[in-house]
Amino acid sequence: MNHRMHAWSGAGIAGLALTLAACSGSAVSAAGGDGEATGESVDEVLIGALHPLTGSNAADGQQMANAAQLAVDAVNEAGGIESLGGADLVLEAADTQGTPETGQSEATRLIEDGAVALVGTFQSGTSANVASVAERNQVPFVMDVSALDEILEQGYEYSFRLQPNASLMGEQGAAALAALAEDSGTPVDQVAFLYEQGNYGAAVYEGFQAAADEAGITVDPVISYDATAVSDMTTQISQVAASGADVLAVAGYYRDSLLAAQAVDTVQPDLQAVFGVANGAYDQPAFVTDAPGGGEGYFDANYHWDVTNPDAVALAELYEETYGEPIRTSAVLTYDAVMVVARAIEEAGSTDPAAIRDAIAETDYEPLVVSEGPVQFDETGQNTNAGIVVMQVQDAAITQVFPNELAEAEYRFPAGPAAP
Amino acid sequence: MTTTLPATDTSPPGARTAPRLSEKSRVLLVTGAVLLVVAVVAGLRAGSGAVLTQALVTGVLTGGIYSLVAMGLTLIYGVLHIINFANGSLVALALYLTLICVQDLGMHPYVALVVVMPAMFALGALLQATLLNPVMKAPIQIQLLITIGLALAIENGLLLAFGPNPRSVALPGNTGVQVLGATVELSRIWAFAGALVIVALLALLLQRTRVGTEIRAVAANPEGARLVGIDIRWIYVLTFGLGAMAAGAAGVLVSPFTTIEPTTGAVFNLTAFVVVVLGGMGNVPGALVGGLVVGLTEQLAGLILPTQSPLLAVFVVFLVVLFVRPRGVFGRSA
Repeated sequence: MNHRMHAWSGAGIAGLALTLAACSGSAVSAAGGDGEATGESVDEVLIGALHPLTGSNAADGQQMANAAQLAVDAVNEAGGIESLGGADLVLEAADTQGTPETGQSEATRLIEDGAVALVGTFQSGTSANVASVAERNQVPFVMDVSALDEILEQGYEYSFRLQPNASLMGEQGAAALAALAEDSGTPVDQVAFLYEQGNYGAAVYEGFQAAADEAGITVDPVISYDATAVSDMTTQISQVAASGADVLAVAGYYRDSLLAAQAVDTVQPDLQAVFGVANGAYDQPAFVTDAPGGGEGYFDANYHWDVTNPDAVALAELYEETYGEPIRTSAVLTYDAVMVVARAIEEAGSTDPAAIRDAIAETDYEPLVVSEGPVQFDETGQNTNAGIVVMQVQDAAITQVFPNELAEAEYRFPAGPAAP
Repeated sequence: MTTTLPATDTSPPGARTAPRLSEKSRVLLVTGAVLLVVAVVAGLRAGSGAVLTQALVTGVLTGGIYSLVAMGLTLIYGVLHIINFANGSLVALALYLTLICVQDLGMHPYVALVVVMPAMFALGALLQATLLNPVMKAPIQIQLLITIGLALAIENGLLLAFGPNPRSVALPGNTGVQVLGATVELSRIWAFAGALVIVALLALLLQRTRVGTEIRAVAANPEGARLVGIDIRWIYVLTFGLGAMAAGAAGVLVSPFTTIEPTTGAVFNLTAFVVVVLGGMGNVPGALVGGLVVGLTEQLAGLILPTQSPLLAVFVVFLVVLFVRPRGVFGRSA
């Protein structure tokens, strides 16, 4: 008894120590000073990149830091920032460790080091903290990946987001599914929706539900799960099978979406297709090796680098040559984010963060990700031309299939797990 | 679940007239009865017998896997009174060892047990001998911090060595099979069977062998054990080795259906702590029951409250159990 009491009070102490450490981290940043750079005769312009280089999102984080470096190299090889006398861009890549507190203190540190703009951070919670630091210090912050709608609902003037937010991806996903079904002549009346219950999955679901209602598609059953703890999805997929839904839509991260695919393979529900919505697995090269049957026929409606754009293809080739693995879309978004910042510095002809912020707000950069036009930020900082594309695993490759003008190959629908 | 059902049927007449059931079987009866009621409610909510059976079968199987992961944790706590925060990381390490065995050495995933279990035993013994034995008399938080540090070191070592990309191990001939009308992946059945075997072996070792008696003696009273001539430092080394070996076996057995990432251990950690406390800290068979309770609660709660986190129900059950039985379902340690 005594031993146990000691043990758990010990655990409490350890927890307290961790909390205190976290608190002091944010206290430092709260006290962080103004990092305004002076614009006279510069040789170098510092940009900060904040990504999770360790922890459970390190796979994306490391790719994104690599892509930021490639973007900086590209700008410097093309002569640097000409309006500043050919000044070199310098990238400082910081590790958020996947936690908002570290992201916040690293953002403060980068600004104190003289960063004139920040890009990042892959995780919405971290981005929300970085956005508040950026606002307080009046340094522009361009989000590459961070889906949470609320980040840009705070009236921030210094934060911008390239990717579509979560609810928009849900809406566009439902619209794309309806359009694809109509185009194929196979009607979809009922969709089962499986989503991770965090803010990302829930927002995607709400967007999807709204747009599905409009398209006359019934969404039932709706099943959520805890992405951090789930270890088996067989029951959920059995529920889907029993419901008689035509299509299973999944909004989840990599590991849990893969579990869903494994359960679909086990249960073999009678579905026309499994359709990822902003899914973290079904458009990843690793999914093709990990999933039963190579994940053949799986769809994902998500942001994606545009395989029909020669510049994007060149970047993908350069990336694979340099780092030995296929580039992820998250990394292409980082590349775009750094390019937006670089263009803005060029336009502003200054290292004053406020001037750079104004130039970012006016940008018309043509992104390498699928988009409905050049990057255009609305007054909240959201890129209104951010878009999605539908991909499908075909012959062990992630293939853009819909809308037809962006298609590399024709979609296969129905493509149920039972169908070959 | 299925094993407790017959017992529940006979309970109403037996409960009063019998000369007082042992505490253990009373606890099992109550647990079984509660689960039965919950299962009926879940079945009504789901409106489909097939879905309910699926949930029950999946609950039992995942529960077995939870107990498997928790086994090493509870053993180490029971004897060393160290809460091993590195348990999940040890499972992750075992997953990567399995990956090497399968991908680079071309072994069948389950044959990897022969390599991974001894390797993990050796590592666990080494960790105890070098890192933890010197601080066994130090305040408890020192040992806690060492295991937390160990967890971070293993996790980031794996990140450094293998990179952040998710990996997987394929089990040849792994398909879905029918069990009592539910569909189950073959690999999960094997993992469940493996969990049972390992619990049985550990229980046998603890109850029937001389070294097991020594381990229990050290768990009960280290000073007394030392006085009768047991080398308690050696027992500590042995126990940590066994705990790490259990984590190793868990890693191999879950490898066919787990995404292998450096941080995979974290997925198992939280559930494992709940399982251990539910079953009674340090109680090896208790961990099995705790695992089954958590597995079934998760699945049935998913049916009853479809939009809530299954973890919510798990923690409600957890709190109720702690309130009613502060020392876990089975109380005292092995």
